[in-house]
Amino acid sequence: MLTSDARIEVSGAGRRFGALEVFRDVNLAVGEREVLAIIGPSGCGKTTLLRCMHGLIPLSGGEIVIEGSRVAGPREGVAMVFQHFGLFPWKTVFHNVAYGLKLAGATQAEIRDKVPRFISLVGLAGFENYYPYQISGGMQQRCGLARALSVEPRVLLMDEPFGAVDAQTREILQFELLRIWEMRPTTMVFVTHSIEEAVLMGDRIVVLKGRPATVHEIVTVDLPRPRTRATLATPRFAGLREHVWNTLMADARRAELEIVR
Amino acid sequence: MARRTRWLRHATVATSLALGAVVWEVAGHLTTGAFWAPLSATLGSAAELARGGVLLQQGASSLRLYVTGLLLAIAVGAPLGLLLARLPRLRVAFEDYIMMLYATPMVALIPFILSLLGFGFTPKALVVFLFAVFPVLYNTVEGARSIRPELVEVARAFRSNEWELWRDVMIPYTLPFTMTGIRQAIARGLVGMVAAEFFLSPSGLGQMIMMGSQNFDTAGMLAAILVIVLIGVALMDFGRYLENRFAAWRGYTR
Repeated sequence: MLTSDARIEVSGAGRRFGALEVFRDVNLAVGEREVLAIIGPSGCGKTTLLRCMHGLIPLSGGEIVIEGSRVAGPREGVAMVFQHFGLFPWKTVFHNVAYGLKLAGATQAEIRDKVPRFISLVGLAGFENYYPYQISGGMQQRCGLARALSVEPRVLLMDEPFGAVDAQTREILQFELLRIWEMRPTTMVFVTHSIEEAVLMGDRIVVLKGRPATVHEIVTVDLPRPRTRATLATPRFAGLREHVWNTLMADARRAELEIVR
Repeated sequence: MARRTRWLRHATVATSLALGAVVWEVAGHLTTGAFWAPLSATLGSAAELARGGVLLQQGASSLRLYVTGLLLAIAVGAPLGLLLARLPRLRVAFEDYIMMLYATPMVALIPFILSLLGFGFTPKALVVFLFAVFPVLYNTVEGARSIRPELVEVARAFRSNEWELWRDVMIPYTLPFTMTGIRQAIARGLVGMVAAEFFLSPSGLGQMIMMGSQNFDTAGMLAAILVIVLIGVALMDFGRYLENRFAAWRGYTR
């Protein structure tokens, strides 16, 4: 493992809710500027694991270390993008993006300087004064992304960020995120249930499986960056997608066959 | 098209009000003066009372009572509602009392307040307060409780402390609900005002109604009632304006 320059180290991590053990003995390391995709079936605890990394939920066992210190709660330098966007409906795009900066203690001058830059980075220039209900889901998530990026985190946690938008928007946003990542590469943990998305985004893919979930396999994605739409057409992409599909679906298919029989 | 519809609407309202005025006037002429006075006589009486300064003086007395009670209700109801929403144990402890008092016709408590605090401004303001506080409190609690947990999570994720959570999330989210409560309180407080002026020491517009009734001065009585109605309508409109203003982010206006 890349212990030496690891931004995030997860060791022996487990979490249970009462009698339900969600995941157990998860060991991971995420390197500097690495994108780690986490994939797994619904309910496997990938989102819970991400929340534990952010310190929103405590672990039941093991520990998570970010930048050398044990995670006990949300900290400076780590930001999250939510599947539900989590925008404040009474705030405009501008003030939603400014929210994180304001809490981080930024001055008004810094906010006036930074917020428009991040709004245009995510392609929302001109929509500063719109309220969330006035813009589409895709634009709302661009706003959520700008809010997370504006605090200039060294670690970005993505919780199925495109899970709540339609298929076309999702594709657009994936390539937007890749473009933005190329401009500002950060360590990123990307939770998704889309195999294609995991292969497209990740430098490595963690496959979580089982009940309780454990790390079933870690797939290295050796696709060159920058990744674009052309990446989707390469045989290597198809091969990796097949591989992850087989890893993920083997049990699901077996279970289905058993029901038929 | 929209302009035409709006014009038609205004015309309908104007016609309806004019017809109401005509009915009022005719009814006044057809009945004895002790029972009902024509609109013209009522307006004449109102003008006379206004000229003599009585209307202004009594109206100001009533408004002072009303505004004191209402502001007190808002100042207590809104923060207490937020607190109860944030502290479940406290809410569970108080919930039943709040429901009981909300359901109680406040008029029933007036004799009790009289024996407890006697006459004067304070017990009357207390009556207005009691009429007005529960809608504010109740709507605030329900509003704050309905907050989307994911918004609280976002606040935590961005390292919000308790005070920042209140400032940035709880209060702005709850404000439209509190406004709904305040709009209801505006109406209930007005009832409280008249009830206090009737049943505690007579004063203000309530006293004018009582005196008008006792002296068979129906026009004077109706004039006082008309003033209360106008104040009520104006305040309700103001309340609705406030509610819409603070609820704009909900994506609709009522």
